[in-house]
Amino acid sequence: MKKWLALLVLIPLLTACPKQGASELRVYNWSDYMPEEVIKGFEEREKVKVVLDTYDDPEAMISKLEAGGDTEYDLIIVSDYLIGQLARKGTIRELDKSKIPNLANLGPEFANPAFDPESKHSVVYQWGTTGLVYREDLVKGPVDSWAVLFDPAKSVGSFLLLTEMREQMGAALRYLGESVNTTDPAVLEKVKGLLIDAKRRSQGFAGGTDAVQQVLGGNAAVAVAYSGDAFRAMEENDKVKYVIPAEGGTRWTDSLAVLSKSPNAELAYKFINYLLEPEVAAQVSNGIGYGTPVPAALPMIEAKDNPVIYPPAEVQQKLEFLADLGPDLDAFNAVWAEVKAR
Amino acid sequence: MPVKRLLAAYSWLVFAFLYLPIAVIVVLSFNESRFGVNWTGFSLKWYEALLENRRIGEYLGNTLVVAFTSTLVSTVLGTLLAMGIVRYRFRLRSFLRYLLYVPVVVPDVVMGISLLLLFDTVRDGIGWPRLSLFTIILAHISFQIAYVTLVVRARLMLLDPALEEAARDLGADNWRTFWEVTLPLTWPGVVSGALLAFSLSLDDFVVTFFTSGSGSTTLPLYIYGKVKTGITPEIHALSTLMVGATILILALGALFWRRR
Amino acid sequence: MNEAATPWQKARRLLVTVGPGALWLTVFVLVPSLLILLASLLSRSSTGSLAPPWGLHNYVRFFTEPLFWEIVGRSLWIGWWATVLTVLMGYPLAFYIAAHRYKQVLLLLVVIPFFTNFLIRVYAWIILLQREGAVNAVITAFGLPPADLFPSTFAVYLATVYTFLPFLVLPLYAAVERIDWSQLEAAYDLGATPVRGFWEAIFPQTLPGLFAGFLLTFIPAVGTFVIADLLGGGKITLIGNLIQQQFTSAQNWAFGAAVSMILMVMVLLGLWLYARTQGERGLDELV
Repeated sequence: MKKWLALLVLIPLLTACPKQGASELRVYNWSDYMPEEVIKGFEEREKVKVVLDTYDDPEAMISKLEAGGDTEYDLIIVSDYLIGQLARKGTIRELDKSKIPNLANLGPEFANPAFDPESKHSVVYQWGTTGLVYREDLVKGPVDSWAVLFDPAKSVGSFLLLTEMREQMGAALRYLGESVNTTDPAVLEKVKGLLIDAKRRSQGFAGGTDAVQQVLGGNAAVAVAYSGDAFRAMEENDKVKYVIPAEGGTRWTDSLAVLSKSPNAELAYKFINYLLEPEVAAQVSNGIGYGTPVPAALPMIEAKDNPVIYPPAEVQQKLEFLADLGPDLDAFNAVWAEVKAR
Repeated sequence: MPVKRLLAAYSWLVFAFLYLPIAVIVVLSFNESRFGVNWTGFSLKWYEALLENRRIGEYLGNTLVVAFTSTLVSTVLGTLLAMGIVRYRFRLRSFLRYLLYVPVVVPDVVMGISLLLLFDTVRDGIGWPRLSLFTIILAHISFQIAYVTLVVRARLMLLDPALEEAARDLGADNWRTFWEVTLPLTWPGVVSGALLAFSLSLDDFVVTFFTSGSGSTTLPLYIYGKVKTGITPEIHALSTLMVGATILILALGALFWRRR
Repeated sequence: MNEAATPWQKARRLLVTVGPGALWLTVFVLVPSLLILLASLLSRSSTGSLAPPWGLHNYVRFFTEPLFWEIVGRSLWIGWWATVLTVLMGYPLAFYIAAHRYKQVLLLLVVIPFFTNFLIRVYAWIILLQREGAVNAVITAFGLPPADLFPSTFAVYLATVYTFLPFLVLPLYAAVERIDWSQLEAAYDLGATPVRGFWEAIFPQTLPGLFAGFLLTFIPAVGTFVIADLLGGGKITLIGNLIQQQFTSAQNWAFGAAVSMILMVMVLLGLWLYARTQGERGLDELV
């Protein structure tokens, strides 16, 4: 009996021990945020194995890397505004651009983004916008300005705020006519007031896909949401609309970065280069439905004429990147903590 | 007796409450709609998508290996610990009693990060263990053990030590007393503790997130990671199959029991 | 226990029963807790990592800002009422299961819903409770106006009770299954009413299970926040949120560590005080 029990414990423990090959690329990403055929294509071309691991919260992911998880992965896909922090801490490495010749394929607006000047540490993977999603049949007036959230007189119905700090504060900053990267304490104080008031009148906070789901379910008439989620909701219900408010909003990206302690950085560079090939970039965007940073891929993309994914040029001009704020981020954190707790 | 009927009615209402969300999940798994907010028509496409997903089987396998192994170890360790704490008086006993509550109190994120720091420090020193299913199992046992011990202890406190004394007086050695007297009497507590430990492991996200390494993704990690693109009814199909399979095994087991 | 046991036998018994578990708890619970304690005495560097100077400043910050007290109070309040509701739901259920012919089957039926993912279950509640959802469809079918069930405090309580029900029922079942019902008959023979008979003969026997279940529900319910975030519309900040934020978005591990130490000490101190006050009645062993 005792031996039998010991065996029962030992077998799974042994199978649980890791087996790591040298020709293995380990990617840390959201679930289903990269089409299988893209991965397969790379595996077959380079005769390697791609191991995909998933996270849900980029900030928790960073905490994990810092606490000792950073030898586990080669390549991470992470939100733009976190790149600066990762670079300063030395968690991600400065890219050796000679190993990524396809960098030349990036559109000019993505080659030198505000959050990572000259793409020193990261390469844009996908991009989108943040705006307002609403149900035509539930709103009581035009939805074209952030005022539907921040001005009680212009409210058009129940609304939801976004759980992402930088995005939601960015919306309030644009409403005040400021840049989303303003750190002026007086302005931030105003933002705090606006957000506390909006929170009290709102249906609460929701994450990207949650927000869209709630608008679909009629819980809120309007919600701050990401373009990709809005795009999918519009396929579900044609009363759903998406708009970038007249004051402008953010253009966000998810970017590729190589970890400093990456055990297989060469392969990571090859993979980044592969993702920048126009055919592959088109495959990615067709598969997951976000914008591509590679203009040469556009002709092969099904949604290239959809203004939700690729807004017209005059709207694109009003879009801003979230910059890396460095230590000034604390001021944002303090405001946000107050807003959430009040 | 009316009290008995009332109790039965109330209990089945509670069961209905427990299964109401499960019913929603089952219905949504057959719904054509991606967001599952409204019923747009019957479809098996999410089951097809589930079959085509080449990763989900691996994730499910990882999840089950972790859940079974950690439950087995924690149930054995926790049951023994509960017996020692209830039966014997020793130094640091009350310290140990309070220490048991720590894994219950500590927020998941703190437990996850502190275990990761511990694993990382040890690995820096002796080159082992790499983050993997193995470290996830170690982490799960660490919180499960507290739950098992506390549940088993609640049962043991009701047992009369005289029963064991009697067995020993009849000439049974420690080992036999344990197998033939103590364990059978404690069994409902052990089963309850093990079930709790199993469902805790199966569902754990945060601690697993911090202690997992590359290639050791579990089902909860995959499901939470879908926040970016939205959770599709594929997961509902998987949940339906898992609950269905468990109930089927349960029904077969019950049938087998009756035969005997 | 056995008077005839030599010190050596006693030590061996302890080594076999308590030894492995105690060792495990020391390595994987006590040591990490000490790491948290150390972290709580450090500060946050400009890049967001842990760094000197050492000190009690994180604790001072917590105790001097009334905002944090508000959060603690709110967490205890919600945790307490969710636990009371769970007891109301689970206590009778444990009796029903323990008395049933197929008690093992019913016991499994309690946990099977929890073999599905937590997030999926919570979303199922959202779909039931949302404005155009199933519950409101039933309400409006009776000609009543739709109710704002979600997001709401009601929804938070509902899902919290749902999530923690097995934590209460399982330990309670283990105790109820062992009840000596002859004591109830003895009480009846002495002329007790059914209510009194239950209260004096049965209820005390369920105490170890009830107490264990109560704590296994209450303690996690105080620290949880995902339910409040998803079903309360993210408007309710609880102590769990506060800690989570420090370790993720705010990148202030030192302060997060201090808050979790405070939570830990709060709970353990509560248990200790309870044991001290109950000492003479023998109920201190429940802790």
